[in-house]
Amino acid sequence: MLSGVARDILIAFLFLAVFATLPFVLDGRYYTGQIVTIFFYAVVASQWNLVFGVAGIFSLAQMALFAFGAYATAMLGFYLDWSVWAAMPLAGLTTVLVSILIGLACLRLTGAYVALLTLSIAQVVYFLIVTDTDCFVMEGVRCRQFTGGAVGFSQFGDLGTRKAFRGDWLTANYFIVLALLIVSMLFTYVIVKSPMGLAFRALRDNPGYAISRGIGRFKYQLLVFGLSAFFTGIAGGLWASHFRAIGPNLLSLSLMLFVLATMVVGGVGRFWGPLVGAILLVGADEVMREFGEYRTLGLGLILAVFVVAMPQGIVGLLKAGAACLRRRLKETAG
Amino acid sequence: MSLLVCETVTKRFGALAAVEGLSFEVAPGQVLGIGGPNGAGKTTLFDVVSGLQPVTSGRVVLDGIDITKATADRICHLGLARTFQLNAGFDSMSGRENVQVAAYFGRRNRLFPGLRLGREAIRCTEEALELVGMRERAETPVEGAPVLDRKLLMIAGALVTDPKILLMDEPVGGLTASEIDEVESVVARVVREKQLTVVLIEHVMRFLMRLSDRVMIMHHGAKLFEGLPREVSEDPEVIEVYLGKSAKARKDSWFGEKTVAKTQT
Repeated sequence: MLSGVARDILIAFLFLAVFATLPFVLDGRYYTGQIVTIFFYAVVASQWNLVFGVAGIFSLAQMALFAFGAYATAMLGFYLDWSVWAAMPLAGLTTVLVSILIGLACLRLTGAYVALLTLSIAQVVYFLIVTDTDCFVMEGVRCRQFTGGAVGFSQFGDLGTRKAFRGDWLTANYFIVLALLIVSMLFTYVIVKSPMGLAFRALRDNPGYAISRGIGRFKYQLLVFGLSAFFTGIAGGLWASHFRAIGPNLLSLSLMLFVLATMVVGGVGRFWGPLVGAILLVGADEVMREFGEYRTLGLGLILAVFVVAMPQGIVGLLKAGAACLRRRLKETAG
Repeated sequence: MSLLVCETVTKRFGALAAVEGLSFEVAPGQVLGIGGPNGAGKTTLFDVVSGLQPVTSGRVVLDGIDITKATADRICHLGLARTFQLNAGFDSMSGRENVQVAAYFGRRNRLFPGLRLGREAIRCTEEALELVGMRERAETPVEGAPVLDRKLLMIAGALVTDPKILLMDEPVGGLTASEIDEVESVVARVVREKQLTVVLIEHVMRFLMRLSDRVMIMHHGAKLFEGLPREVSEDPEVIEVYLGKSAKARKDSWFGEKTVAKTQT
């Protein structure tokens, strides 16, 4: 029997082997591009999973943090001519600060009230950006708002891969985003396995008992807000640099629900949940593309089925199945 | 000097006073047993002392430090650990992890928590698991573990925080007779080996009497009786509260006291 860590390393190598070969066997840029979006969703969902799944705080602010990272990178590039490579780390750090501020505002609340407040924060930011009409700079006859308004930003620089790799720029971007996915998932793995991970889970499982064992709720929940924000902000910056344009749709409810759904379908609180969920949902979305308007309906149905029938998600289901199989084998052997 | 001092501690929920003007002290190395009917305010007293509920008025002093307004995590770091009446546990974790997290975070405030548990936390955890006899069963998840295991893990989790005083809320509530004996021997061993000061709440009188040096009976949030264990069953007020007036009258008549006439009127 494999120990937990050995099993995770094995799964990691399997995923890596597949992801490393995919861009060379897939034809056409379309599918490579779709896998890049899977990576992005998986990065955000894996960090969100720290707050939502591991620490059990129903925060819906994660996409707002992602958008913040994207806007910070784009605006540093646009207004100050920063290279995106310099802007992304700063975007990550400032996202941590923003997340801690949101945490300070939210963590006096518990349960569904945290969800309500974080959702309204995200929506307020969305409407503030969309309705911003004050001219910050004039570009010829066009007026540009400080926040980019409803249009957003473009032409703030990119990763430089188009210049360096020419026709292969997408493959280069693919591996850059894959690298971020690896680093961010490693980060969550280390956190969850550390004493901090135990503290977060303790506070989720039984807050009163956890506090009585010396784990201050406020401190450690604020900590998880901060920790989960860094790679979310960087992912936002990388998203902006990869697509070379961003807009307020990053804060839209539908995108937030999609990423939330990847976490639920994969398995809330499970390490492999976000990645598996992102693959499944982007895949399902792809299949349903032909059905036009029914696509959103289909996603909603999938989410509903998982919430009702498989609250543990795919990864939880696989784990339970494996445990059942092992018991059977033991019985037949014994 | 007393290790734990409660001075006229009062806890009100709106108009209801769950604990009212209660004062008592616990000397180092002593085991104080608290009994009393349901709703007497025993658990509320523990919640207030351990910092889970704010005190309405009064003062709580632990080893010379005023902890009346301290938070529960700080009180834990100062050396007061408690167990719960409901079988509290971190359900998603193994028994061992349940104790490890307490060993790591319960001893002192971790300003910057590290990435590893460290030798000290691991050693204390194994020692505590051994002491309560849970080492063999420490790998199973706590979710779905039997009541006895959960109670023992709670005790182990309290011990690894290196407490000066241990508050136990119904450590044998809901257990079978043989299980009660097992917990009793564990608690007795802990008291003996660690020279630990203990306050315990229990309805199982046999358990309470055997372990306690001193017994306090609470009723309606106040102290009804405080004294030696063997005096409890002799106390007329305790009998009246537990068994009613007629029982008291019967006892009085059996033992030929003159109070018979008084209770009958």
